[in-house]
Amino acid sequence: MFIQANALTQAMIDNDWLFPAAECVHIASFALAIGTIALVDLSLLGVGLQRKAAAEIARSTGLWTLTGLVLIIFTGFLLFASDPDMYLRNSSFRFKITCLVLAIIYNYTIHRKVALSESGSGMGTKLVAGVSLALWISVVFGGLFIAFV
Amino acid sequence: MPLVASFAHWLEQRDWAMDFAGSAYFYPIVLATHLTCIAIFGGMILITNLRLLGWVLRSQSVSDVVGRLRPWKWGGLVLMVTCGALLAGSEAGKYYGNPYFWTKMTLLSLLIVHSLVFRRSVYGNTAALDRAAIMPGRAKLAAVLSLILWIGVVTAGRMIGYYEGPVPLADSVTAPAP
Repeated sequence: MFIQANALTQAMIDNDWLFPAAECVHIASFALAIGTIALVDLSLLGVGLQRKAAAEIARSTGLWTLTGLVLIIFTGFLLFASDPDMYLRNSSFRFKITCLVLAIIYNYTIHRKVALSESGSGMGTKLVAGVSLALWISVVFGGLFIAFV
Repeated sequence: MPLVASFAHWLEQRDWAMDFAGSAYFYPIVLATHLTCIAIFGGMILITNLRLLGWVLRSQSVSDVVGRLRPWKWGGLVLMVTCGALLAGSEAGKYYGNPYFWTKMTLLSLLIVHSLVFRRSVYGNTAALDRAAIMPGRAKLAAVLSLILWIGVVTAGRMIGYYEGPVPLADSVTAPAP
């Protein structure tokens, strides 16, 4: 395991194009995952799409969200492998990973339950959508700030 | 393009551009906002195109998806372009010499052309698309082209940061053996 991780790190260092390529796929796939989740949030908030569409949006974009998340994690792991020590020491990285884990758990528990229940559009529902948006935006900000802290 | 070059130089000398480029957190905050817009509003563009292809949200009409998301996509675009202009304005001289920046601007111009070309038959004609038994080829073509162009914009945008200027001549010549 340790040796394999080192081989991956070496591959990321040896190939000039691997890091940028992984990062481009990383960005495109978080647009896919966060975009589809944001659509559910906006319909829960009753802005853009209608509240009653939330369940259907969540169901029909679910596979796309999951595809995006899998690609994010896969490419994210490649990026991480390029310099594991730097990332582990980086406070913004740790913040990001914490938010990411919370956001994923939240997305498939509370968020999913509320989105799939076809009723409810009060403050509670709006709060659920707001927390979701806040968590994902924190992930993006945390990710970007890795390069600046 | 001497005019653009001198504009880039002028822009770089502005007080606000200097303050902006000089402050430690303003740049990453604007960049992160730019990126968040890509995630949320780029995601909406993705969904609109996938709906035209008939891959998602099939029980929602094309009119609903295109029409309801339109104001949000416009709002997102304005915020995204504002952040982008701030980023480019703060280091205008650097961006001017960056080929990926110009690739990105070219792709964005092509997207403007794209929206003009397909406005009448696709994006402004959603009621007819709702009635069509199968999605017309033009709508699918518009969706595929839009996806390709936007993915190109994101890729070129990210590559701007990797460009380190032209390779110095000395580096490209193999050093003579001692």
